[in-house]
Amino acid sequence: MDTKNLLEIRNLNVDFKTPRGRVHALREVSFNAPKGKIVGIVGESGSGKSTVIWAMTQLLAGNGVVECGEIFFNGKNVLDFSEDELRAFRGEEASIVFQDPMTSQIPVLSYSQQMSDIAYRQRNKSFREKIEHSKQIMRKVGIPDTEQRVYQYPHQFSGGMRQRAGIAMALLMNPLMLIGDEPTTALDVTMEAQIIHLLRSLQEELKSTVMIVSHNLGLVAELCDEVVVMYAGEVVEQGDIRQIFHNAKHPYTQALLECDPARVSNRARFLPTIPGDLPDLHIRPNGCVFAPRCKYALQRCEQDRPETYVIEGTHNTKCHLLDSSRDQFGTSSTIERQVSKTETYDSSLKNIIDFEKPPILNVENLNVRFEIMGPLQALLKRNGKRFVDAVLNVSLHLRQGETLGLVGESGSGKTTLGRAILGLVPSSRGSVEFDGRLLTDLSESVLRNLRQDMAMMFQDPIGSLSPRKTVGALIAEPFSLHNKEKKNLEEEARRLCDMVNLPHSFLNRYPHELSGGQARRVGVARALALEPKLIIADEPTAGLDVSVQGEVLNLMRDLQARRKLSYLIVTHNLPVVRHICDRLAIMYLGRIVEQGNGEMIFQKPAHPYTEALVHGVPQPDPDKRRNLVSIEGEVPSLTNRPSGCEFHNRCKYVQEKCKTLMPQEKVLPDNRTVQCHFPLIN
Amino acid sequence: MIPGDPVSIALGPRATPEIQAAYAAKMHLDKPLIYQFLIFMGNVLQGDLGADVFSDRSVTTTMAEQLPFTVTLAVSAIGWAALVGIPLGCLSALKPNTWLDRFTGVLSVGTIAIPSFLVSIWAILLFSVTLRWMPVIGAGESGNILDQVHHLILPAFAVGLGWVGYLARMVRASMLEVMGENYIRSARAFGLRSRTIIFRYALKVAILPTITLIGIGFGSLLSGAVFAEIIFSRPGIGKLIYDMVLSRNFPVIQGAVLVTVGLYVFVTLIADLVVSWLDPRVRDSL
Ligand SMILES: Nc1ncnc2c1ncn2[C@@H]1O[C@H](COP(=O)(O)OP(=O)(O)O)[C@@H](O)[C@H]1O
Ligand code: SF4
Ligand code: SF4
Ligand SMILES: [Mg+2]
Repeated sequence: MDTKNLLEIRNLNVDFKTPRGRVHALREVSFNAPKGKIVGIVGESGSGKSTVIWAMTQLLAGNGVVECGEIFFNGKNVLDFSEDELRAFRGEEASIVFQDPMTSQIPVLSYSQQMSDIAYRQRNKSFREKIEHSKQIMRKVGIPDTEQRVYQYPHQFSGGMRQRAGIAMALLMNPLMLIGDEPTTALDVTMEAQIIHLLRSLQEELKSTVMIVSHNLGLVAELCDEVVVMYAGEVVEQGDIRQIFHNAKHPYTQALLECDPARVSNRARFLPTIPGDLPDLHIRPNGCVFAPRCKYALQRCEQDRPETYVIEGTHNTKCHLLDSSRDQFGTSSTIERQVSKTETYDSSLKNIIDFEKPPILNVENLNVRFEIMGPLQALLKRNGKRFVDAVLNVSLHLRQGETLGLVGESGSGKTTLGRAILGLVPSSRGSVEFDGRLLTDLSESVLRNLRQDMAMMFQDPIGSLSPRKTVGALIAEPFSLHNKEKKNLEEEARRLCDMVNLPHSFLNRYPHELSGGQARRVGVARALALEPKLIIADEPTAGLDVSVQGEVLNLMRDLQARRKLSYLIVTHNLPVVRHICDRLAIMYLGRIVEQGNGEMIFQKPAHPYTEALVHGVPQPDPDKRRNLVSIEGEVPSLTNRPSGCEFHNRCKYVQEKCKTLMPQEKVLPDNRTVQCHFPLIN
Repeated sequence: MIPGDPVSIALGPRATPEIQAAYAAKMHLDKPLIYQFLIFMGNVLQGDLGADVFSDRSVTTTMAEQLPFTVTLAVSAIGWAALVGIPLGCLSALKPNTWLDRFTGVLSVGTIAIPSFLVSIWAILLFSVTLRWMPVIGAGESGNILDQVHHLILPAFAVGLGWVGYLARMVRASMLEVMGENYIRSARAFGLRSRTIIFRYALKVAILPTITLIGIGFGSLLSGAVFAEIIFSRPGIGKLIYDMVLSRNFPVIQGAVLVTVGLYVFVTLIADLVVSWLDPRVRDSL
């Protein structure tokens, strides 16, 4: 093995035994991690990224087997390690930062206990010394007040802080390699940017080798030196970050990069997608794994497995197109493919916002107040607040055919506002007018009827669908919920299926048999069942891969143009918002701090918070790396609102006045409203 | 309300109407029911549970004498059940589908299914009558600890047996669930020793629902103790209630029931406190 490389994986094959046979989760995976570099493994979910990590640490699930292959770490084959050697390897030589800090840290032990447990190998250190060392590492990863915080428990930390603590735990034994499995996926963009920045500066300081697994192209472009692209259990392309992002050779890599909405600047176009689904990994593919979805597939692609062609230096790819001798075989004609239905959106269908009619939704000064403790409890905790204001004086309007995006970090009150508009949570003050009727005074039964005209699309489609009902029954459910006796529910279900481009064969399946994108389609079909005028969609693409995300967004836009739907989209995903929304409302601590035309806001944010959010998105281009974190700190607790401008403790442009005086809403010349004393444009 | 007029039971059939009326007035039995209840509750709050109708002894004193026997029985029953059941459940969760796991499964179903009074009778037949290893009745000579322990073994065995299976099943299920959690995998990935992972990480989480269950299940534990006290003729609240029901000694029954309920509430509270001591999330939400 090359001494330049800390890790060399050669021809790794991993299977999982399942009742339906073996899943060939990794096939012929080979790549290197050079010492002192940051290597990114990208791929969509199910491509086997995590399996690589678990195979490497020998912690595969019980049904997983390494069929063959070698994993050399620092010159030794990890697969030959004894149980004791493995234990020494884990945490000391290679240490992992996990995807979800909520579930990967034990809730009943404090950080001091967890960290001294990890440091059990340092027998010469006393407990006190271990705690001191833990505090030092926690300070290094940017956790304030370590004197107290080291004794706290995971649930007492916010999401971003927990992930910092996760990094601290991984760094505790000063490992040779730090591995991050989707380290920012569970976090907001603002926290993500901070963690990316932290990882990069730690790597520079410690000179350690880092391996980051992610489906987020922006993160990889911003952080990594080398990239390994995986698809359905195989490495399809690898190379230097610029080679991959600027000169990708494999059709999958190219398609994946194209899909990313952060790269698609033209708003009017439908987003590119990768038609088709991941192959069934129970069957070993004969030819190229990507052949069923590849635009350029050749005749031979379905029979011959492509070998690895070196393009330049470390850049190589597995694709027949790179075979310079291919024309000798006379097999270079691409296969004619039936264009799948999802691609045939009629792009001449333009969405037209109806400016003639009054807005379909009018929200005036809406407030939502939650009681967080009973009167007795409040008495016991003398200084405790009984109520929190989750939504404060929100006014917005939405026209027919228009899309309004509601954006903010988690905890900013977006979802609550959406639910309050539907009357699913009671509002304490203000009014909601929908289609000319004041919802806030209506009785529950009238409201139920009106709710047919406004549908909710939920964040987690599989979780919100009843697992024992078939897709057909689920799609037709809204009819029975609203006592709509349609004569032929099956026909209705088929009609809705067509509308969301779901084949009729899906009607008899169950929710757990659906992929993420298919489940989302069922969610859309259900929302559309009663032909609503307004759809409130809560994070419509959260947890979806980029290639599928485009499909769902395209479908939503197509339906909007056809049926003059209005959308209220609640999300923290800014690239998606930019692509689909006409207007934006930015929320912070329950207030709308900026509202106006989406494109203008993206080009020239007026509120410092908006600017921070817009700049918080990592660009999928290694030449556009940011050097500064756009926003420090975290969203304050609702029980402890800052004085004056509530953003002042995180604002880059803060002045004395901001700390005491709450800014009034200003209307800028381009008709946008902003709550700031010193808006960034005038 | 209950058959048997309290006055005629207390004074016997030969009491004159005047004596009966005087007694009723003294005991407030001539007042409306709600008034009787309020007086009783007022007295309870002052630690006065009334007096025995036959001996005129204070019920509070009787309770103070009898309660320790019942508590000792209940605690030793649940104690040995926990000592055996929790490790059994742990082991079978760590080695699922081995012979030990199957054995524990069968044992659990068996011990849960057999009622404790049957266990008591069989235990007496085997250990006391046939083998003559154990005393049959009573709680042992007062002051002689060894003798008392000797008398405690069989009843505690009988009352606790069902709990062995119950706890083993409960711990097995929650242990299996916890061992599949992400944080156990991350503990492994940090290279912790399996000892630490099992006893410090997994068990600490898996034991929480078990503690709550013991708190809630204390009621059925008490009813098991009542049977055992009757069969083994042991002093205790259960035996007392049984005897007093036969003689319709209402103030004593009333006191005993009240003390039992109080005990139950107390134990549930203790269980909640232990859980919140072990689980910082619960502690913070209080
Ligand atoms: N314990 C398991 N049993 C069966 N299949 C599994 C198991 N773990 C992972 N897989 C399968 O292996 C493939 C790769 O999964 P994974 O490594 O988690 O992908 P990624 O991390 O890229 O999303 C997927 O098809 C997944 O369904
Ligand atoms: S080998 Fe063929 S099918 Fe596979 S990516 Fe290349 S051209 Fe497409
Ligand atoms: S009012 Fe001041 S602190 Fe608030 S956003 Fe504007 S500049 Fe920043
Ligand atoms: Mg993964």
